[in-house]
Amino acid sequence: MRVPDESDVRSHLRSPEVAARVGLWLGICFAVAFLTGLYSHALQDPPSWFVPLRRPVWSYRVSQGLHYLAGTACVPLLLVKLYAVYPKLFARPPWLDRAALLRHGLERASIALLVASSLFQVATGLANSTQWYPWAFSFRSTHYAVAWVAIGSLLVHVAVKLPTIRAALRADPAASGPGPRAEGGLSRRALIRTTYLATGLVVVSVAGSAVPWLRRVSVFENHFVPSGGIPINKTARRAGVTVLSTDPGWRLEVVHGQRTASLSREDLRALPRQVARLPIACVEGWSASGEWDGVRVRDLLALVGAPRGSVVTVTSLQPDGPFRTSTLLPAESDDPLTLVALGLDGDDLSIDHGFPCRLIAPGRPGVLQTKWLARIEVES
Amino acid sequence: MTALRLLTGVVGLAALGWGIRLLLRLDLGDLLNAGLWMAGAVLAHDALVAPAVVLIGLAAARFVPTWARPAVAAVGVVVGTMTLALLPTLGRFGAKVDDPFLLNRAYGAWWLALTSTAVVVGLLVALRSRRASGADGP
Repeated sequence: MRVPDESDVRSHLRSPEVAARVGLWLGICFAVAFLTGLYSHALQDPPSWFVPLRRPVWSYRVSQGLHYLAGTACVPLLLVKLYAVYPKLFARPPWLDRAALLRHGLERASIALLVASSLFQVATGLANSTQWYPWAFSFRSTHYAVAWVAIGSLLVHVAVKLPTIRAALRADPAASGPGPRAEGGLSRRALIRTTYLATGLVVVSVAGSAVPWLRRVSVFENHFVPSGGIPINKTARRAGVTVLSTDPGWRLEVVHGQRTASLSREDLRALPRQVARLPIACVEGWSASGEWDGVRVRDLLALVGAPRGSVVTVTSLQPDGPFRTSTLLPAESDDPLTLVALGLDGDDLSIDHGFPCRLIAPGRPGVLQTKWLARIEVES
Repeated sequence: MTALRLLTGVVGLAALGWGIRLLLRLDLGDLLNAGLWMAGAVLAHDALVAPAVVLIGLAAARFVPTWARPAVAAVGVVVGTMTLALLPTLGRFGAKVDDPFLLNRAYGAWWLALTSTAVVVGLLVALRSRRASGADGP
């Protein structure tokens, strides 16, 4: 059997005109996913210079919704892009010319990195949006590292191919190119349009979990609350807090150095209240707004004489898990909308939403809106 | 254009280098496992999905009448790419017994509705273009 070469899979559709047009949108989606991903990562692992965006209160909702939708849009775009360039996989290396062979090898290596990291990012991101983790590596650190590999190898690829891309974008896709056109097959323009259609359809079909007015048509959304309330990612049972959170002896400890205030739910209720409409936006892409009723964190900190704008660690009753604690940066702990919430949408907080009380603050990823609070401590 | 190319390339190499540095700082186990998944993803595409598309194309060229081919191809692109994009949702692999709000819609039924709509629309478009061109078909 002979090794297949480029001509075996040639088609008029596998052309630079298709690759450049679909690739342009794919590149835009990659850029959006990369930038929003960087932002989300910085929120969860803030570098010392980082100042989170707290207004508008829905900033993270938009940023993470874009991340999820741009990533989803990549699937049809990436598949058709790879379809258009697939024959290149079978290109014969220029064995006799050493310099050309080296260039060929380098380009192949960079393409291999680009394809591998792109498929990896899209597949792991989509699986994560459905809470499916069939792999053994830690999702966030790996998805973050590979994002840099993907965007880097994409830029190198664009730099190498820039003249081809410009020529292909200027060319009329209807003009003939390499490869025979199968009798009666799809035209290039039709393939490009069909790809855009599939991309638009798949985005709309999942967008409802981030864009409420699309909820009726988004039949494939992963998180759906029939009553229109806020979804729950981690139940009290799974977090192992059912007993602790309903214990009548529960107290919220607010600690600053030697000073500690120990507050029951009744004590919290007696403090000045703040009601605010704030969204919960999950890293998985869904988001929903609620009317939260609670006490300002900065008022609690004042009870123990903490200076304004302190760095604060909040700790959950959860016995373990990566999100047992979270940190409030100075601007966050002082924000009048950073609340210890006691109620949601006119009711007491339910146990799965974080009873006896939970953190809710503007512009933070859902995983940092710590539930079932046990302790609020000012860092020295 | 040369300056732009050069700049893009240099920024790209820097980002790539940073990414590899981040990868090397991962747990060795994480890194090896991620490498396995990356290689697997490339294999799944290059050795399964792409050849399957080639075979489907060959079969269509043989068995589908000329007038219906563009419609069949378009329906294939829409249904095929959407199905792959929705695979984790359709399979409900991440569903949890105690989470009633996760992966809780009738995805299979909606997928059937989507696919049959695409097929019907494709068929109508194909029939219309057949009549418009006045071809009798093979």
